[in-house]
Amino acid sequence: MSGFRYSYALNQWRQSPTSFVRLEDHERAFKTLSVSGFRAVELWAGTGRWSNLGRPEHLRLNYGSSAGFVGRLAECGIDAVSSLTWDPSAPAAEEGFDLRSTSRPADHARILAAVDPYLDLLTELGCDRIVVRATEPAGRIGADLDVGAVASVLERIGSAAKDRGVRLAADIDCLSPLRDAAGIASLLDSTDPDLVDLSLSTADLVVAGEDPVAIARRHVDRIGHVHLKDSHFVDSENAYLLPGAEVDMLQGNAGRRIERWFFEFGSEAGLVDAAAVLGVLGESDYSGWVVLESDQSPEPATSAMLNAWYLTHIAAAGFRAAARTEEPAR
Amino acid sequence: MTWKRWSYMDHWITGTPQGPRQPTFNRNHTERYLRQLETLGFTGFDTFGFTLPIYASLYGSVPAFERALQDHGFVGLTGVFAAYPYATDFAAPHRRETHDRIFADFERTAAAVDGLAVENVIVMPTNTYFQVEPVTDETIKITAELWNRVGAMLAPRGLNLTCHFEFWGAIRTEDELALFFEHTDPELVGFFCDTAQHTIAGVDPLALFRRYRDRCRGFHFKDTQRVDDFDAYRTAPDAELMATGVPRWFYEMGTPEGLVDFPALMREILDSGFDGWLTVEHDKADLGGGNFAEATAVAKWYIDNVLDSVRGGAA
Repeated sequence: MSGFRYSYALNQWRQSPTSFVRLEDHERAFKTLSVSGFRAVELWAGTGRWSNLGRPEHLRLNYGSSAGFVGRLAECGIDAVSSLTWDPSAPAAEEGFDLRSTSRPADHARILAAVDPYLDLLTELGCDRIVVRATEPAGRIGADLDVGAVASVLERIGSAAKDRGVRLAADIDCLSPLRDAAGIASLLDSTDPDLVDLSLSTADLVVAGEDPVAIARRHVDRIGHVHLKDSHFVDSENAYLLPGAEVDMLQGNAGRRIERWFFEFGSEAGLVDAAAVLGVLGESDYSGWVVLESDQSPEPATSAMLNAWYLTHIAAAGFRAAARTEEPAR
Repeated sequence: MTWKRWSYMDHWITGTPQGPRQPTFNRNHTERYLRQLETLGFTGFDTFGFTLPIYASLYGSVPAFERALQDHGFVGLTGVFAAYPYATDFAAPHRRETHDRIFADFERTAAAVDGLAVENVIVMPTNTYFQVEPVTDETIKITAELWNRVGAMLAPRGLNLTCHFEFWGAIRTEDELALFFEHTDPELVGFFCDTAQHTIAGVDPLALFRRYRDRCRGFHFKDTQRVDDFDAYRTAPDAELMATGVPRWFYEMGTPEGLVDFPALMREILDSGFDGWLTVEHDKADLGGGNFAEATAVAKWYIDNVLDSVRGGAA
């Protein structure tokens, strides 16, 4: 029996610039996840005063300190921060809206400087995992991807993280030029296993036309983080190559006009075999986090409860027992 | 002790391709709804009498719907709520000429739940205050006649008739409640304590439970952040949605501004020996941008993390 643990990503609670800002809204999400059986949360990096869980300085200001945040989580029934996702290419006001690419060596020093505050934060939070988006979308990079450069900066981030007890997991999303099996293998082959893990994102793999079970089996020794979510669609037309794929593809602006790609588990149209993925992890020595998401859901609380239901009844019999002991009703 | 009998009152709005709808939009949405309640650990399910035909349509019959509930860990359909909020020529409990019609309605309800797990038939015993006023001893006594009669019909079928009072209904004050209960048979007409409705009406639900504990058949655990100190209960045509300056009266348990002392009530319940269902209700949770899924989760978190820690005074 593997020792992996479940967590839930908070990203989808922030659906608009002014949403999920007040602390009582955070608290409601924490309680929703706790009572649904999740005892850890994943943070995501952001920018601006309203992204107050997405910037280290804002988190500390809102909760008094990192310890204050951890304490509030505990009061709501959340025991840990599992991980934090960070996109080095995402411009942040706090960094002067710096435009960086992991594939441009000239940007690497600035990327390393930018991740530093996050590593400090993770150390303070007792969190040992940073999930770093490996590349920006293919449509933005064009044909210039230098896998060696990407690998180099990931290793450098991984090394800085390791020094603080944090491991890096590379997130290869469905818009990445490395999204297919060959691309994933090329990045993993180019990086030091001691410094760079793979974040297995099941839905992104399905969208990319890959089988997440096969990818999990192939790279099981490199998996350091899992995003477990479902998708109903395969990008069979390579819409990810569109220059504005984040909108054109993922928000249905072009192509097949699919406005929502990612879903909670349990619908007939779902393409991810979560039980099989968890089976591969269970047979391995994987002991990291399995993070579920409400990504793209209009109702993140509903999706969280449905994901919990799915884990309990379909995919992971031990999920509920680990989270809460329930006695039968009279 | 950890209270085992938590039920959920069937209020929910969910997103559909046709906009916000009730889960009975189709069976898929109903299934998603039940999965969420199961995830949270509810084991009882109360619904409305008027929703029973819809569930029968979706599942083939009401018993088939109850089996679906049981597949989701519920003991079954545990309560049915019936109401005539608006006085009409056909249904006005304070007017005797409508009693036969109302009685017949409850005969049909009883038949519809025959053989199911239903324990309580919960009724809103009056119409809106503004339609009944002046509320007099006579209107209350006539109302009591009706519910004595309905309760006598339901009792042999194993169903408790229990009265749920609204802050805007024509029995709302302590004196009105006392008169009503004085003229109803405790064995046939129960008290159902909606914590928010009584609080809004300026009546302490804890004191009411203490007074009517022997005939209390259940609770709606919901909160409010406002007492009606400006006669909103007389608002026509509706005080729940149309009261000036109060767009939302009801809240789930666990909000800092909530007025109901749930731990104190829980302690009293534990000490009392009450062994019925405690029902979570937060109707209209979608007002002001809220949503039922999160409100229900927050309420159940409050149960698991606050109310479960409450111990009776004898403990």
